[in-house]
Amino acid sequence: MPNETPNTRIEVWDAPTRLFHWSVVILIFISWLSADQGYMKVHLASGLTLLVLLLFRIGWGFAGATTARFSNFLHRPSSIFSYLKALVGGSKPLHAGHNPAGGLMVLLLLEVLLAQAVTGLFGNDGLKFSGPLALLVSADMSDRLTQIHSLIFNIILVLVWLHLVAIGFYFLVKGENLVGPMVTGKKHRAHVPEGVALVFTHPIVALALLLLSAACAAWILF
Amino acid sequence: MSDNTRATGYLPAWLYLALVALVTTLGIAIAMALRPAFANSVLEFLHLQATPQAARNSFYAVRVAPLFENHCISCHGERRQKAALRLDSYAFALRGGRHGTVIRAGDIKHSELMERITLPPSDDRAMPPEGKTPLSPDEIKVIRLWIGAGASPSIKVAAIKGAPRLVRDVAIPNFDLAQAMRQRATLAAEVDRLSRRYPGLLSYQSRNSADMELDASSRGAAFGDADLKAFAPVTSRLVRIDLSGTGITDASASLLAAMPALKALRLANTKTGDNLVAALVPLKSLKSLTETGTGATQASLASLRARGVTIYGDGDAK
Repeated sequence: MPNETPNTRIEVWDAPTRLFHWSVVILIFISWLSADQGYMKVHLASGLTLLVLLLFRIGWGFAGATTARFSNFLHRPSSIFSYLKALVGGSKPLHAGHNPAGGLMVLLLLEVLLAQAVTGLFGNDGLKFSGPLALLVSADMSDRLTQIHSLIFNIILVLVWLHLVAIGFYFLVKGENLVGPMVTGKKHRAHVPEGVALVFTHPIVALALLLLSAACAAWILF
Repeated sequence: MSDNTRATGYLPAWLYLALVALVTTLGIAIAMALRPAFANSVLEFLHLQATPQAARNSFYAVRVAPLFENHCISCHGERRQKAALRLDSYAFALRGGRHGTVIRAGDIKHSELMERITLPPSDDRAMPPEGKTPLSPDEIKVIRLWIGAGASPSIKVAAIKGAPRLVRDVAIPNFDLAQAMRQRATLAAEVDRLSRRYPGLLSYQSRNSADMELDASSRGAAFGDADLKAFAPVTSRLVRIDLSGTGITDASASLLAAMPALKALRLANTKTGDNLVAALVPLKSLKSLTETGTGATQASLASLRARGVTIYGDGDAK
């Protein structure tokens, strides 16, 4: 566009993707705190909400805005490797949405969080609380899944730490603020490749998908 | 959808990565300071600290560990670690849990474990929690004496005076009659048919059980492989079989090998041999085999013995 300057801001993240991101941040914290303090009803509620949001995000990966789509941010391992090589080499390949390494992180987090939510459904705390689907499996299996649930939490901690390290790397080493755009949805023109055309999906689709995800979760549980 | 620009950050990459390494190390150090259990597991993993072991005949092993086993490890053991606490070994018990150490050697007053097991059952923090069997006053005294004596891994039983006498629990299994009846119902038609065809050979092990015994020894050589095959529909429930003196041969090997609940098998004076013995090796429930007067050799019986099966017989080296 002729009137654009490097300080012009361009919308790259749609509202549903941003809301999903920050909701997951809050829900992971609530889930950890509630389990740590023994508030298992709160833990159940946050876990179920997380499950609904994850189902939504999977659907949004096919129906959402360009930058929310899996096809936009999932790359071959060779592309991810080339990207990291360029990054270490001092250049900064530009991407409107997730970069290839970030895309891999999104995929890993979605998988791990989904595994966490699902194992939680079958888990128990050994006292008075059992997940809503715990009775569908044997007590031994429920215990085993509870152990896996605890183990996955440690994997989540590692992934979250890597995520934060990457954000810090972009900000302090590459001079790009990744957090701001995930709040406002907008990136500086200078951080978006030339000629990129982003397509956004109407929010009503997101709402419908969220309701569908909630219905799916309810169907699984009841 | 990508382009390239030069980096314009505040720090060189090497400095940032060094800071990350520093912050990560600091984070792990803080976690180790806040969570002694985590600290101990890290130090033991890095071989910077020896894993404490209790002596076999120590007061801990003889008196304390069985109490933890009976009352605690269902929630604080290998399968489940509530509050990240394990009490299934001396090292784990001393290591503590998410909220720190629970046993302070020699300090009964500040040992959280002592506090928890002496709280009234109505207290939310009481251990074992409501619904589980609480420790008896004698059991609490045993733990108190041990912690008071330094929670030692090696102190002998005789060295701690005043401990209540050791009472050994004899577990009497609970019989679930309704469940046994339900299990019997699934095979009732087959059992009825077999009882009419082979009167007196098949019986339930007890009034409260759906497990069955087959005793064909009275039939002698008239009872052969084809007859045993007729019992195939009930193989899942057969726990004892006496085929002494019958006409069965190694041809029944595959049928006997498909009896997962079989505990005792008598084959005395039959024409069975090594092939049948070999087929029995995978049977995990099998505890005893009587093979007097059969063709089984010591070599074939060795693999059953190695599995812990008691062999009654001569193991004829023919």
